[in-house]
Amino acid sequence: MKRNDAEDRLDARGASRRKFLRGAAAGTAALAGAPGAAQAFDFETFFQKHFREMSDEEIDDLNARLARKYEKKYGKPFSLDATGPLDGVVFGYGLDISRCIGCRRCVYACVEENNQSRDPEIHWIRVLEFEREQAFRSINLEEGNPYYDHETVPAEGKLYLPISCQHCEDSPCTNVCPTGATWKEPDGIVVIDYDWCIGCRYCIAACPYGARHFNWGQPSIPKDEVNTDLHLLGNRPRPKGVVEKCSFCIQRVRKGRYPACVEACPVGARKFGNLLDPNSEIRYLLKNKRTFVLKAELGTRPKFFYFYG
Amino acid sequence: MGATAQFWHFVKGSALIVSRGSRGYFTWMLLLAAVIGAGGLAYANQASNGLITSNMRDQLSWGFYIGNFAFLVGVAAAAVMVVIPAYVYHWGPIRDVVLLGEMMAVAAIIMCILFVTVDVGRPERIWHMVPVLGTPNFPYSLLIWDILVLNAYFALNYFIVTYLVYMSYRGRKYNAVFVLPIIFLSIPVAISIHTVTAFLFMGLKSRPFWNTAILAPRFISSAFVSGPSLMVLIFLVLRRVRPIEISDQAIRKLGELLAYTMVTNLFFLGCEVFREFYSQTSDVIHAEFQWFGLRNGHGIAGYTWFALVCNVSALVIFVMPELRNRIPVLAVACVLAFAGVYIEKGLGLLLPGMTPDAMGEVYRYDPSLNEVLIGAGVWGVGALCFTLMAKVATAISAGEFRYREG
Amino acid sequence: MADDGSNGETGVPVAIRTVTWIVLGVALMGILGLFAIRCELGPEAARAYPSRTLAAEPEPVLLPPPPIDEDYFPCMDCHAGEVPNRTRRELEDDHDDLELAHGDLWCHDCHTAGDYDRLHRADDTAVGFDESWRLCTQCHGKKLADWRAGVHGKRTGYWWGAKEYRSCVECHDPHSPAWKPIEAKRPPKRPAEIRLGSDVRLEEVPHEAE
Repeated sequence: MKRNDAEDRLDARGASRRKFLRGAAAGTAALAGAPGAAQAFDFETFFQKHFREMSDEEIDDLNARLARKYEKKYGKPFSLDATGPLDGVVFGYGLDISRCIGCRRCVYACVEENNQSRDPEIHWIRVLEFEREQAFRSINLEEGNPYYDHETVPAEGKLYLPISCQHCEDSPCTNVCPTGATWKEPDGIVVIDYDWCIGCRYCIAACPYGARHFNWGQPSIPKDEVNTDLHLLGNRPRPKGVVEKCSFCIQRVRKGRYPACVEACPVGARKFGNLLDPNSEIRYLLKNKRTFVLKAELGTRPKFFYFYG
Repeated sequence: MGATAQFWHFVKGSALIVSRGSRGYFTWMLLLAAVIGAGGLAYANQASNGLITSNMRDQLSWGFYIGNFAFLVGVAAAAVMVVIPAYVYHWGPIRDVVLLGEMMAVAAIIMCILFVTVDVGRPERIWHMVPVLGTPNFPYSLLIWDILVLNAYFALNYFIVTYLVYMSYRGRKYNAVFVLPIIFLSIPVAISIHTVTAFLFMGLKSRPFWNTAILAPRFISSAFVSGPSLMVLIFLVLRRVRPIEISDQAIRKLGELLAYTMVTNLFFLGCEVFREFYSQTSDVIHAEFQWFGLRNGHGIAGYTWFALVCNVSALVIFVMPELRNRIPVLAVACVLAFAGVYIEKGLGLLLPGMTPDAMGEVYRYDPSLNEVLIGAGVWGVGALCFTLMAKVATAISAGEFRYREG
Repeated sequence: MADDGSNGETGVPVAIRTVTWIVLGVALMGILGLFAIRCELGPEAARAYPSRTLAAEPEPVLLPPPPIDEDYFPCMDCHAGEVPNRTRRELEDDHDDLELAHGDLWCHDCHTAGDYDRLHRADDTAVGFDESWRLCTQCHGKKLADWRAGVHGKRTGYWWGAKEYRSCVECHDPHSPAWKPIEAKRPPKRPAEIRLGSDVRLEEVPHEAE
């Protein structure tokens, strides 16, 4: 349904004007303490401790409380845990850019698996399209286009580069977070405690890969599409005003499963495994294929390796 | 009467002073109330709907608020330009104004803290940064260092101002051994507040426009342009509306200092521009966006050149004694310098740093109406704080408000 | 600066200078000490997690190839009793819907003339349709190593556990194996389209670079 953009703009302005007035009223009422005028202030979350400082019982209580909250909101039972890392495991990721066709099935598989907000829209994976001729000389990121819209892919003469969190060994984001709400777990996954993040967005400024995303508005997930298998540091529905990003599907990989994007890719361009296991496919490709990482000169040491299969 | 009771009298008396005034005063206060009220409503809207009411998005995650914050940190630090002549060199004429300069610093710091508060997505969680209660990421995160030095500077200056004003109200000389060390402490802390703020931007290797060693010296030099400029303008207004003696000599001295600081500011700008456009690494695209705009139009190029014209014009006036010693001309130069630095250090710093973003995307950002209203509200709060403090202080120095026994 | 009122030197008495340094030192140490109390959480400090391992990794699982269309299989239902025509040609009567574009190969290079229910390798070894991948690896040997290792082709299931991999024909049409373009999913929203109220889709997005 094609609308003319003047209508869209007017509509958007009208919508935002109505929202402004409603929001100003609600916000003022909330500030003035009028009960029921705005969302009830969540005292339990307010006094919650940082994840890394909670005891196991506190985490179990938190998981149970959140599961109840989601059940009430979405009308289906949720399972929420905080599975710890496996011994002797550091995760690595491989992406075969000779095979990626830019179909974006990984993007939307991730959205569904990880309960990303549909409106306002958040995508953890972004696929950049380059002119193959140019990209062979050097990948100039300004030439990359994430908004390509073709009937079928791959389009003639194009190269596709999907980008998501690189889970750097030396990540700039974990360094700059003022509250320590984001950190690197022993199995190499960079995680976020969504109840500790204050939403200052310093990590978004610090990330060289544009991999972190902010919940600018109240996130919304359709009830029939919400994923009920949750991990506290991964795909649990996030509140407004906090940062989120790819978590290597922590709810899957810590139980031995592949991330959703690996399973969704129709051409098998995505590879995942344990970097410490010499027999894993990720070690095989690091040994036998030509690999590179993005922005290597920055010294972030990503664990996301692009290769030519 | 005990010391507490005396201080309470001072507080009550101050409340009385600020509740009375001329028609102009009440018009000003009404204007501030309107601006602050609008800002408050806009903030309520933002608190309810989220930061989506701003025009910031993932591709440009820091904008109007942080730009104002960076600018105001410099204004706050510039109090040091009057503190040093007054307390280190004991230069008489500047003593009229040193207290007002420190009050401006207090107001500016309040605005800085407010701008950071309105920018975060979950302001009720700010306590997570406090030691013991929360888990500050010290020493890795520069935001924690910034919170530390900002609050230290605020506490120091607020204490100094309150103490000196109260002593003056009591008609007593201040206890030098008690307060001078604190005043001297405020000098390195002033330098540190915007060095740390500069480091906050500089340390980000993901943003090559900011990742340059000269950013910290540029912050200092532009702070010492914007701060004294604002001070000159405030003093000119104050000596007209309040019974206060501010000598032309003090104002001219500030004008003379502005010559040196503006030269330094423009020199550092020249260094940046040379490095960007001569070396022409791929990161020059940020400077290209700043000065010329990219494929999608002129962007902020107009503002950048306008700021340069303002700064250079102001420099010409500051450097020539025949011009700067004429107070009305100096006032014009100060307005130009303030505007120039506001553009250069506000959005002129933030936007090129994040355009194009880390993955090469260009997002054209203008602050939304909601952001501007909130920003104006914060400036209103700062102006209000300064007005209240200055009203009391000038009443005391004019002898209208004095401690009386019994 | 010394034209009036100043003595040209910092006439700060020693007592005040000393006190200043002491205050500065104490303040610094106090503040740093305060932070040192609760700053164990660096960017890599983790919880004290209990030890966890998963059971020993079973062998990867080769998923059976998709079934062949009932119209075509078993082949001998139609081909029984005929004399095979071994001339290389383009088929006109039946199987003309098949697009054959696989190098220089033609039907009898893989399909066994007279016994079409099985395939054969170059040395005439018989291979069933359920193991058709053994034909591909005759020429595509490098792919065999990659495929076994999991680096070529789609893997699903468990990175530590039952890794599922697939027969070649599941993704590659053996008659014309070159990958065909598929439908692309829709692009992401531009930042200007993410709005309060609900996201809009603008036909012409202002101020955006292509």
